[in-house]
Amino acid sequence: MSTQPSKNPRDQASRATGDQRSQFDRIYRDHVDLIYRYANRLCGETEAAKDLVQETFLNAYRGFKDFRGDARISTWLYTIASRACLRMRRKKKGEPERELSLEEFVPTSEGEFRLQIPVDGLSPEEAFQNKELRQALDQAIEKLPKKYRMVLVLRDMEGLSAKEVGTVMGLNERAVKSRLHRARLFVRRELSARGITDGQSEESRATTPTSGGSYR
Amino acid sequence: MTKKATSPKRAREQGEAAHEHKPGRCLEILQRLSAYIDDELASNVCEEIRRHLGACPNCEVFVESLRHTVTLCRHRPTPTLSPADRQTLRENILRAARAQARL
Repeated sequence: MSTQPSKNPRDQASRATGDQRSQFDRIYRDHVDLIYRYANRLCGETEAAKDLVQETFLNAYRGFKDFRGDARISTWLYTIASRACLRMRRKKKGEPERELSLEEFVPTSEGEFRLQIPVDGLSPEEAFQNKELRQALDQAIEKLPKKYRMVLVLRDMEGLSAKEVGTVMGLNERAVKSRLHRARLFVRRELSARGITDGQSEESRATTPTSGGSYR
Repeated sequence: MTKKATSPKRAREQGEAAHEHKPGRCLEILQRLSAYIDDELASNVCEEIRRHLGACPNCEVFVESLRHTVTLCRHRPTPTLSPADRQTLRENILRAARAQARL
């Protein structure tokens, strides 16, 4: 019996397809939850997030042979997802991205300095039992122009370093930090403009401690 | 950032003139607040900002509100993918990849 690899082109093609498939399965298994979470945070709704996951892994499947291994696979996938997300948005609307200036975030009245939301003395988990607060944050993030939202999501939610965010978005660290700051100021202003009540349900009020636990 | 004002309109009219610090100082502070929160500034710059915050209640309230905003973003709840959806997505991707390979 020969141990020589087959020279039949069909066998070689089949083996190449098999290799590609097993590489894909490994990457998909290890990273699909990460990319779905990122997609959900970017898109804000389930169906669009699933579309983005499919688009991302389809591109990864096709492009794996070009992956040079000089970045982490997760960074590579974040990059593919971010590009796909920008493409999907352009297909939908095509409106130009708005630039945010620092001056627009300077408060002009007393009430704009603080958040009008009940968070004092609560842990973030306790604060998020307030449905109104969850919705206000989701809407604020959704209103952000996409390129600012991406930086905020990658840095403050996915926990990437400014350098890694720069690699994903093709920006230098200075530009990443500038966009991040404007994105945070935008979300702060949106939350500050909303008068959110202490909208805890009776059930959560009964189980949530009202004191102790610092909001940090 | 302007100091206390009786109405938003009056605050806008008065602008920096209503503030006891030199004009533009609060805006300079505002520009650096994310770096301050993220602890990316040199210690002398941090100290300078802390001194300003101690003397300017509005900036102090503002930085706390920004800090709360960042904390909320970091803990924002996110739904997870169900095992059934994970499987369905995988099949869809492989089907699309096969279809593209045939073209």
